[in-house]
Amino acid sequence: MKLSIENVGKCYRGGLWALRQFTLELKPGVLGLLGPNGAGKTTLMSILATITRASEGRVLWGGVDVASQPNALRRVLGYLPQDFGVYPNLNAQEFLEYLAAVKGLEAKIAQKRIDQLLDLVNLQDVRKRPLGGFSGGMKQRVGIAQALLNDPELLIVDEPTAGLDPEERVRFRNLLAELSGERIVILSTHIVSDVEATATDIALIAGGHLVAHAAPEELLRRVDGKVWEWVVPSADLNGVKEAYRVSSTARRSDGVHVRVLTGEAPRGAQPVAPTLEDAYLDALSAHRAGRSARAVPA
Amino acid sequence: MNSARVLGALVKADFLTRVRRTSFLLTMGFTLYVGYETFAGHIVLRLDDYRGVYNSAWVGALMGIVTSAFLSLVGFYIVKGSILRDEQTRVGQILAATPMSKSFYTVAKGLGNFAVLASMVGVMAVAALLMQIVRGEDRTLHWGALLGPLVLYALPAMAFVAGLAVLWETLPWLRGGVGNVVYFFVWTGLLSMGVSAVVGHEGSLRANAFFRDFTGMPTLMSQMRAALVRVDPGFGNGFSLTIGSVGPAKRFVWNGLVWNGVEVAARLAWVGYALLAALLAAVFFHRFDPARVKAQGGARRAEAAPERGEVIELKAARHLAEQKREGWRGMLTAVPRGEAKARFFALVAAELRLMLHGQMWWWYVGAAGLFVGCVAAPLSEGRTGVLVVAWLWPLLLWAQMGNREARWATESLVFASPQAMARQLPAAWLAGVLVAMGTGGGLAIRLGIAGDVHGLVGWAVGACFIPSLALACGVWSGGSKLFEALYTVWWYVGALHHVSGLDYTGVVAASARPGLFAGLTVMLVGAAWMGRRARVAYA
Repeated sequence: MKLSIENVGKCYRGGLWALRQFTLELKPGVLGLLGPNGAGKTTLMSILATITRASEGRVLWGGVDVASQPNALRRVLGYLPQDFGVYPNLNAQEFLEYLAAVKGLEAKIAQKRIDQLLDLVNLQDVRKRPLGGFSGGMKQRVGIAQALLNDPELLIVDEPTAGLDPEERVRFRNLLAELSGERIVILSTHIVSDVEATATDIALIAGGHLVAHAAPEELLRRVDGKVWEWVVPSADLNGVKEAYRVSSTARRSDGVHVRVLTGEAPRGAQPVAPTLEDAYLDALSAHRAGRSARAVPA
Repeated sequence: MNSARVLGALVKADFLTRVRRTSFLLTMGFTLYVGYETFAGHIVLRLDDYRGVYNSAWVGALMGIVTSAFLSLVGFYIVKGSILRDEQTRVGQILAATPMSKSFYTVAKGLGNFAVLASMVGVMAVAALLMQIVRGEDRTLHWGALLGPLVLYALPAMAFVAGLAVLWETLPWLRGGVGNVVYFFVWTGLLSMGVSAVVGHEGSLRANAFFRDFTGMPTLMSQMRAALVRVDPGFGNGFSLTIGSVGPAKRFVWNGLVWNGVEVAARLAWVGYALLAALLAAVFFHRFDPARVKAQGGARRAEAAPERGEVIELKAARHLAEQKREGWRGMLTAVPRGEAKARFFALVAAELRLMLHGQMWWWYVGAAGLFVGCVAAPLSEGRTGVLVVAWLWPLLLWAQMGNREARWATESLVFASPQAMARQLPAAWLAGVLVAMGTGGGLAIRLGIAGDVHGLVGWAVGACFIPSLALACGVWSGGSKLFEALYTVWWYVGALHHVSGLDYTGVVAASARPGLFAGLTVMLVGAAWMGRRARVAYA
């Protein structure tokens, strides 16, 4: 089971490249695809989910080009899009039955799985209630259930926690961690904490380019010794922001606790253990600095 | 002053939103087509054997009456939907949180509708100018005579349509497909009302006749007749606006309308009715209240209470935690791998269930009654009457075909499934055919018993044609409105009046053209296929 993304690019009308020269190879586990809004995550997800075609490059599933045999991937694909709708007059059971038929599942197996999945996502009590009255979280759970209908080998979830409350987010993370095992799970998000707990691998994407691909530990190692924290008076905060890449600030009674990313220790600062958020910011900053340098003529 | 600025901003935003859509280009294309048809002599204004010389007065009157009579039908379907768009884009909720009153909003929406329709009138004005110059029967331009009818006939008619469109959108029972069908009959009723005000009162038109016709036809008819009587005292008072080829005509010179106070007031009255319609709409307007929006959207039984939702969320968190402890992975039934079987008919059944879902009991009673009616009625009545109604009954079901995925944003779920093109689209089509065969099946039984093979073939072609039209309209327009409007008109003209070449029912020998409709069916299915193919990455 292997998903290969080879030099994939996507150009929209008007010549806007949302994705460029994107290469990645995935094996079972959870890949956290992390990047700011507009980085190209959803475009990549859509290409992998066979919703849109790549303008260049190719995607291989088990060595087979998805462009020539999309159904080979679709049969084992579970996809939870960022924005998806439901038929409001159908209830959860009916909606899943319909999608099971669309996915070509055998009726008896589909019935069993729907029953079990409704249990899993705890919609059993409301299975007969029209979807039009579901809350965002409940609808998202219907989305998860439909993505799992065909027992997918590749599960793609695009910004699954958008719009969910913190408790729901934690629950989805746990669910995704449980789902990994023998499948490839791609979790696309711009929220670092979403991938912190679940991802076995992280791919950072910005401006349509792959910025980094590594295990979380490796990403953390890259910023080891580069994260500093100290307390500054409120009045000095702007000066600090101009001089350093600030990762976070917190106002306390003794002043503002500032966390910065820098190679050299600021005066009075203490080294602290880096977080994934620090690693993410550092990688993005380096990427942007690199692009700016390329943009300035020598 | 501030209100005028806000109104202007609303109308401008509404107008720009529409003119930057592809559908606006199609609208303008259609308007140009109507203008061309008029120019080419395929839409003809005749008084018995006479037509006017193509001078400014005649061309202006012709364009004015064509615009107010025909674009008042099409224009309604074009502009209806602006409140729904605000609802879908959630812009409405932002507007609802401002101090803007409901009546202010509905009037602004009416003006936005009017701006779009007025731009169509503008296109017709240009067409009128070109028509007079190119025809060359009288190239002297009299701007008042040329543009006056467009301003005084067409614009008030368009204003009225703009106001009605807003009213339709705010009335829960008219905002959907039913409203689109109802409007067609309201439109024919309004036209009939105007014509009936004139017919039989040729010599003495009462003042109220002008107020009963929204197209302006009474003024035109009375003044043209009076002018022609002076040329030909034997003129028989005939007046027709015909689509299609007619024979050669004698010509007379008509110098244009002479407006009196009553007639101008009558035209302005229709602008007043438009304003009244927009203000009446404010009474029913839900102001984007989510509870009322959902209720009107059809999910009446839905429980949208967030408090209950929260309870379920919390319960879910505990439930999942418990399941995780127990290890839920083993509890899911395995799905056999390997080449999936087609299971096409299971999908057809699912599409059929989806299509029929949510129908009220009376719909099934009506469908069953029509089936029985087809069986029980004399065969001639079944052919000319019962089947015609039986194939109107499921109109709103067919109207969902091909656009349901776009309307409810389920494309990404459906189109990522295996063989999405090869299975889902044909399954949806077949479900539509089964609905047609179900409601009109009674007549097939009668035809079979009578041994009418030609009738049976025509019936089968008709049953395939309707869903093909629905599918093509749905796929290409992305909505249900095009089919609802087009099919209603087609049904009225072709099926109800059994016009040869338009009668798709195929069971009346005099008007049946099964070969033609079989060809059209193939083309429409092909068009639907191509349209869907453009939306699915890997067909």
